[in-house]
Amino acid sequence: MIPFEFFLVLAAILFVIGAYGVMTKSNAIIVLMCIELMLNAANINFVAFGAYNSDVMGQAFVVMSISVAAAEVAVGIAILLNAYKLRKTTELTDAELTSLRW
Amino acid sequence: MDFPILSLLILVPMIGAVLTLVMGGGRQKSAKYVAAAFSAVTLVLALFVLFNSDSFSSMSESYEWIKTDFVSISFSLAVDGLSILMVFLTALLVFLVVVFSAEAEEVETDRPNYFHTLLLAMEVGLMGVYMASDYFLFYVMWEVTLIPMYFMISWYGGPRRHYAAIKFFIYTHVASLVMLIGIFAMGFKAAEVTGVVDFSFASIATVMHGVEEGFQALVFALLFFGFAVKMPAVPFHTWLPDAHTEAPTGGSVLLAGVMLKMGSYGIIRICLEALPLGASYWQWVIIAIGLVSIVYGAYACIAQKDLKKMVAFSSISHMGMVMLGIGCLSDAGITFAVFQMFAHGLITAILFMVCGMTGHKVGTREIPLLGGLAGKMPVYATFMMFAFMASLGLPGLVGFWGEFPVIFAFYEFIVANDMLWLLLFCMLSLMLTAGYYLWAMQRTLFGPETTKIDLSHAHDVSKTEFAAMAVLCVLVAFFGMWPDAALQFIEPYTDGLIDILGVI
Amino acid sequence: MIEYTWLIPFVPMLCFVLIGIFGQKTPEKGGYIAIAGAAISFALSGIIALEYLTGPDYPNVVVDSICWFHIGDLQLNLGYYVDGLTCMMMLFSSFISTLIFVYSVGYMGDQGGRKKRYYAEVSMFLSGMLGLIVSSNFLEMFIFWEVMGLCSYLLIGFWSFRHPEGDAASSNAASAAKKAFLVTRFGDVCLMGGLFVLLGAFGSLDFVDLFNPVNIQNVNPDTLTLGMLLCFGGVIGKSAQFPLHDWLPDAMAGPTTVSSLIHAATMVKAGVYLVARGFPLFVQNPDVMLFVGLIGGFTAFFTATMALNNMNIKRVLAYSTLSQLGYMILSLGAGGYLFALGMDSGNAALMAAGTAGFVAGCFHMMNHAFFKALLFMCSGSVIHAVGTEDMRLMGGLRKQMPITSITMLLGSLSIAGFPFFSGFWSKDLVIEAAFEAGDHNVLFMVLWVLAIVTAFMTAFYMFRMWFMTFMGEKGKNTLHAAEHGHGESPKSMTAPLCILAVFAVVSGFFIMFGLDGMLSFTELPGGFFQVGGGHSEGFEYFSELFTNPYTYLTIVLALVGIYIAYLMYAKKKINPGRFNREGESVLYKVLTKRWGFPDLYNQLSWKLGYGIARGVDYVDRQVVDGTVNGLSGAVVGGGEAVSRVQTGDVHDYSSVVLLGIAVLAVLFIVIAKIMGGI
Repeated sequence: MIPFEFFLVLAAILFVIGAYGVMTKSNAIIVLMCIELMLNAANINFVAFGAYNSDVMGQAFVVMSISVAAAEVAVGIAILLNAYKLRKTTELTDAELTSLRW
Repeated sequence: MDFPILSLLILVPMIGAVLTLVMGGGRQKSAKYVAAAFSAVTLVLALFVLFNSDSFSSMSESYEWIKTDFVSISFSLAVDGLSILMVFLTALLVFLVVVFSAEAEEVETDRPNYFHTLLLAMEVGLMGVYMASDYFLFYVMWEVTLIPMYFMISWYGGPRRHYAAIKFFIYTHVASLVMLIGIFAMGFKAAEVTGVVDFSFASIATVMHGVEEGFQALVFALLFFGFAVKMPAVPFHTWLPDAHTEAPTGGSVLLAGVMLKMGSYGIIRICLEALPLGASYWQWVIIAIGLVSIVYGAYACIAQKDLKKMVAFSSISHMGMVMLGIGCLSDAGITFAVFQMFAHGLITAILFMVCGMTGHKVGTREIPLLGGLAGKMPVYATFMMFAFMASLGLPGLVGFWGEFPVIFAFYEFIVANDMLWLLLFCMLSLMLTAGYYLWAMQRTLFGPETTKIDLSHAHDVSKTEFAAMAVLCVLVAFFGMWPDAALQFIEPYTDGLIDILGVI
Repeated sequence: MIEYTWLIPFVPMLCFVLIGIFGQKTPEKGGYIAIAGAAISFALSGIIALEYLTGPDYPNVVVDSICWFHIGDLQLNLGYYVDGLTCMMMLFSSFISTLIFVYSVGYMGDQGGRKKRYYAEVSMFLSGMLGLIVSSNFLEMFIFWEVMGLCSYLLIGFWSFRHPEGDAASSNAASAAKKAFLVTRFGDVCLMGGLFVLLGAFGSLDFVDLFNPVNIQNVNPDTLTLGMLLCFGGVIGKSAQFPLHDWLPDAMAGPTTVSSLIHAATMVKAGVYLVARGFPLFVQNPDVMLFVGLIGGFTAFFTATMALNNMNIKRVLAYSTLSQLGYMILSLGAGGYLFALGMDSGNAALMAAGTAGFVAGCFHMMNHAFFKALLFMCSGSVIHAVGTEDMRLMGGLRKQMPITSITMLLGSLSIAGFPFFSGFWSKDLVIEAAFEAGDHNVLFMVLWVLAIVTAFMTAFYMFRMWFMTFMGEKGKNTLHAAEHGHGESPKSMTAPLCILAVFAVVSGFFIMFGLDGMLSFTELPGGFFQVGGGHSEGFEYFSELFTNPYTYLTIVLALVGIYIAYLMYAKKKINPGRFNREGESVLYKVLTKRWGFPDLYNQLSWKLGYGIARGVDYVDRQVVDGTVNGLSGAVVGGGEAVSRVQTGDVHDYSSVVLLGIAVLAVLFIVIAKIMGGI
């Protein structure tokens, strides 16, 4: 049996990688992918704790969370595509995109 | 009674508000008829309640709203002698404002249907405040009145309307948040005893009567602050002159006529009913604030150049009279403080109608620019004179019965406390009131006709305006000759209230 | 019939409503309705007075009231109160008002659509006075008192816009009306204070309760004194006594009929009536009565001085009214003082002397009503013809206006105290009352001297006025009027003059026929008070007055006054300019400035009213509102400062969020360690 801590470490590594990407990358698509990474880190934790406590709710929440993430990515990508169509860029620091703020 | 008449009093204007809201486009102009119809129905309902004063207790309604193991909030309405007068006043003034504004230019030109939506929405809130018998509902309705008023000022107001609207909103909102803290404090304190956070008036009052003075005084202070700002009492009054100067005529009428009374209503309904020990603890503060408001407001009136601003300050002075009456904590004081609320509602409505008309018809409200209007607009002048005379407390009109007995109650109080010299302030204020009204009248209505502004387009009162003001004048005279018509509602209520205060 | 007393004020009030609604459509714009109303009131007063005076109740007071409403536990009533004083007051008020209304048809005939307003307002005015007279309690009285205040405001300001003589006159009327209302309002506020004191002390404002000796015994005398002094403040305002007298001369800005109404039948008589009505309470303390007498006596003298050199015919009459009102108050004060002393010592003779003073005051009030109404209406007739109020522009009108000149002569003789005219009887009784009181307090002796001097001045200035108007050379406007054929006034104006002239001559004899019995104020065994039912002295007044040497003194002084006026203004043998250095002397200037009282009022109201108001306004804008705006400014400024953190860069935000979470996590762990959780 794989020790419980391994799951937590894996999740922590994934989360930190994701966080690092969100904070440093300026490409919006990569940022979006990094957010997915962080979400999945949380999902792993869910499953791990669920199995550890023999509570099926953990898995239930993961299913929920994955579906929400899918929706979020769909919306995010849609926004990005539109932004790209209008401004021809997906760079977050690009003046073309920041001018969309109000 | 099986018929949910009190709910209808809230529901009818609400439906009217929604209907006028969706009447966009070409139907905007007919919104006023819809509004008139719905406010008339509300008025009829209010009159029905008024004339069935015997069955007040059977009219009360209560519906479960939010109910868990820890919290119990209900949508419960009730009327008694105190609230019915305010309900009647609200229904009457909203209807008359609709009639009065039927031809008003500022409303006609700019989205007239929204104006009526706001009026009716305000009526919903006001009815709710005056009939609620649950603190949570009370608070919600209190906030509901705020929003239409804000929009009314900021959409239909004068040149500095945004400043005034924001000032009004922030002032009263801050005050109502403080009030909310007070309400929560009472609710949780009561929950310590009953185990459930139950916001109904009755259950909280029962517990509060047994609470020690320190807590009562603290909560009283929080609530009192919230209500005093609304009244408004000096020194929390500065939102009122600005709001009035900028608000459209109809808005001013409702603001002064019924919204200010929410403050004094709250003090009586909540502070006195639930916290008698707190009331006696702060009695001198209430009296001091009342006296200062009376004299300060009267003096400020003299210096005003804008007619409407002057009337706004006079409201402060007259609401100070209400505060003074409440502060006496005696049967006569509270009874006639309530009567003064009612009287001031009637009189001030005419006052603001007249002052608003000055602005529309003559083009300015600056007193130094006016003069000799009586020759040009005799009917207008008559109404103005009538309203001023009523407001300065001419016996035989309703204003006198708000003043004389309240000052008498105060006299009894100060005699008991050996502070007879305080009576001088009351007498001074009576003198000043006559002074500023007569001076204003001399400068606007009499003397040579003004040449500083173009009077050629000034025309006299229109039919709808005449109708609205005439009804009010008749009521002012009627209740002046026969004050018992209103007192018969108030007296049973104050008898009960005095029993509560007697627990002290 | 007596149970219908409430109709007396009600009828004119009904007329007010009728004229207000239908007046424009009726002939004379409601004038006839007003006349009818006043006449009906007079007829009712007559019937009720007759029934009361001959009925079984007399001299007990007939009173009835209904509950109006409650203040706390105290009950307030509406009702009527009929005794001898009421009868006299309501008779002469309604009678004179009827005549004035008839006269108005001629005098106000050219006013067009404004007449409706005029007749409506005078009807309400009369209603106010009659209501005040029949009131059964102080509160009801106060209400009518204020109604009269309102009507006087409206009527004095009748021409406060679109004045036929132009803008300056409009402004003048507007400010006179305001002054009248505010100055009397000052008195009214005092009276209101007095009512609070009485209501607090007695628990009722009904005359029946207030005059009950048992109740009076139970009240703290100091409280009662305070209450009565405050009530007398109301009298000072309404009856225009020193120092609140100055509104009355200005009130001449209204139509002359209004002046006549205010001076003769209504308004200023209300104050005197209040003192007479409240006599049972006033006499509880002699010092209060001394104060009353001092105010009255001083007013009589002080205001007569200002009539000496005034050139405006109506102003002279106004000052004479002030002076005569002073006489009435003096008489009541002196009588009350004696009565109070008599009550303290149980001296019946003193009390009888006090009663005589009371009778003299009320009697003079009635006589004054007749001759002052006459004089004002005559002056109105003159003004109507010559179109000015300046006596220098009149002169020599005797031939042109025979009826007016003769009736005015009769009125002037009456007010001057010429023997056997009405003013002679009452004035001498007043002076006698002051003299009697002088035996007990030297201050009244001083007042007596002032009263005698005033009698001389009265004779002088009244005949100065009459000679300047009707005798001597024809003035500018007289000639002008003659050219345009403006002669005697129409019948509707002269008829009331003739009727009033008769009364001005003979009303003095009423006292021989039982008026003094009807007005006598006495204390019954048991301490109750009663007006009426006293012993009537009949023709003993003749012997009483003509055996008194001081009577001859006043007669001689009056005759001397008339003669000097004759020499100065009719014969022109003496140049009045010799005494005042052609109008340059200090005294002359002070008199024209009315002893500086208008300036004093202005200064007071300007400083105490507007000055403080400006200060309050400044505080309101700068301090109160400034604090609020400062607070909101601070909040907005703080917000702007903090908002710089919002860079808009998503990386910065996420870093902050993560950092925050990390800090929180560390904190959580540390706290958990400390608490010993892990």
